[in-house]
Amino acid sequence: MSIDIVLDGLLTGGVYALAALGFVMVYKSSRILNLAYSQMIAISAYVLYWLLTSIGVPTWLGILLLFAFGAILGFLIDRLAIRPLLGQSFLILLMMTLMLGFLFQGIITLIWGGESFNLPFTPTGMLTIHDWKISPATAWGFGVCLGVFLLLTFAFRYTKVGLAMRVVAADHAVAQSLGIRVKRMFSLSWVVSGVLAAVVGILMGMVWMVTPELGDIVLGKGLPVLILGGLDSVPGALVGGLIIGLVEPLGGYWAPAIREIVPWVVMLLILLIRPYGLFGQKYIERI
Amino acid sequence: MLPSGAFNSRPEQDLAIVRTKTQWLLLLAALVFMFTLILYIPLAWQSWLILVGIYAIAALGLHVMTGLCGQFSMGQAAFMAVGAYTAATLCTRYGLSPWATLPLSGITAGLIGAVFAVPAVRIKGFYLVMSTIAAQFIIIWFLREQTWTGGSYGMAVPAITVGGRALSYVQYWWLTLGLVVLSIFFVKNIQRTTVGRTFVAVRDNDKAAEVMGINLFRTKLLAFFIGCFLAGIAGWLWAHFLVYISPNQFAFKTSLWLLGMIIIGGMGSTTGAVFGVVGIRLVDKLVDERVVPLVKSAVPGWTVQAAPALSLIVFAAVVIFFILVEPKGLYHRVQRIILYYRLYPFSYQR
Repeated sequence: MSIDIVLDGLLTGGVYALAALGFVMVYKSSRILNLAYSQMIAISAYVLYWLLTSIGVPTWLGILLLFAFGAILGFLIDRLAIRPLLGQSFLILLMMTLMLGFLFQGIITLIWGGESFNLPFTPTGMLTIHDWKISPATAWGFGVCLGVFLLLTFAFRYTKVGLAMRVVAADHAVAQSLGIRVKRMFSLSWVVSGVLAAVVGILMGMVWMVTPELGDIVLGKGLPVLILGGLDSVPGALVGGLIIGLVEPLGGYWAPAIREIVPWVVMLLILLIRPYGLFGQKYIERI
Repeated sequence: MLPSGAFNSRPEQDLAIVRTKTQWLLLLAALVFMFTLILYIPLAWQSWLILVGIYAIAALGLHVMTGLCGQFSMGQAAFMAVGAYTAATLCTRYGLSPWATLPLSGITAGLIGAVFAVPAVRIKGFYLVMSTIAAQFIIIWFLREQTWTGGSYGMAVPAITVGGRALSYVQYWWLTLGLVVLSIFFVKNIQRTTVGRTFVAVRDNDKAAEVMGINLFRTKLLAFFIGCFLAGIAGWLWAHFLVYISPNQFAFKTSLWLLGMIIIGGMGSTTGAVFGVVGIRLVDKLVDERVVPLVKSAVPGWTVQAAPALSLIVFAAVVIFFILVEPKGLYHRVQRIILYYRLYPFSYQR
């Protein structure tokens, strides 16, 4: 087995981790598993493609506009779809986010059809470092992932907003009585996750082909990473992403057919052994 | 709620599924209507009707798991696939008659469902949903990778024959409707007996249920077994109706459609599950017949993708509408209307 597979797996794991971070962001503050997130990623990739090719804006402006789009999308989802359902049973919220995902996928299919593409600024060729070959797009993904991870960890630990978010996550009522605007925190976490979706959309558009199925693929990678790391843990998402990224090609190396199923099997095992994930908080239930 | 002045004085009255003689007559008339319905409708709607019946059985299974026992499953389509492939394999490779594979495909699906339900004892909520999603992907992947299932190309299934001739659409509808009626009766019966009441107790508060002496492990496993058993039966009908099955027919999306159907119909109500299936399939069919040609002629660039995309969008919009506006579902609204007339001069009481 060559070192290339391991290296590529680790780097791809960074992208998976970034995909899982968006789920964590929303779950941490509002205990909602946002299954529409993967479709938000896909729609971001499509919007950027449309901005760059049909409208013809320069790349840097396109990316900036995309961030604005992601933020607005996250804000609108929170305001229009999630806010009216606060306090409902989790299945209703889960179904709502899933249906939003369906809606986005339908819109993508309707407008762009079966078009598939890589984003125009995707770096081509292979980077060679000390005779290991890596794809520059994946390397970019890994770098951005590390950056976002550091930023989020720092924000959650040292800033006032991050602290407020952690309080909101722990207990809505306590947060409210301490004078934290709980609803504003929800909005903020959705906005951040919308921007994250835009970032991941750009990276996915470089690492993988963008097709209408992109959202499903991302969901298929993101959920196992999420469960492995723990639903509410930022470092968990990173470690989980790296583990899944590594285990997947190794499984594929051992028997090519099992490659796509390895993440799910790992997830089932984790669910059996340690349901709250490697780094997730274990909640003690009171009766 | 009973009409003004009517009271149940004996326990049997409380338990009865059908309360009065008039209701028996109405039920009988409805059954006769349903059995002959296929004779009045055009050919294009006949296969639609049969598929509604098949989905209804699968949705009833999901209703037992999710609506009654509170164990959310997003893998119902995969358990349908297990039933369908069991029927197909036993029929083509071992030459069993379809009638023998009917219970077998149900039981196989039920057992596999119970295996995937084992984590359900320790986990609930999100985590259980995750494990059923994993079940969905693992089962479909397994069926796609095997050679004896024909891989992703799928396999042909023999049609059901009676007296040497394959069943026509009309006869197949009678078979489907028979199974649907049996399943409804079965589920309604579960709901009013001990098993169903333990399910509801586990759904409402599993800790309280355990303290009261309900065996959580057994109850959850049983709920999954029954739910997946019905999915297997639906898969059997599916396989013999389409006479060709492939893993793509049982995609993750189908599982979500089924979940959407029981949410629209009204969670926790047997009749509601059937209402949801009919409602969603009707909307889907109408979109396909009316809206899609309209969009195609309006926007020439969208001809290819209009049908699948609009079907997704409309389904999502309908479910979102119901979640936001009518969270108790279609059947609840119908009941409210019936109640209004039943209590007529005193309708304000509700």
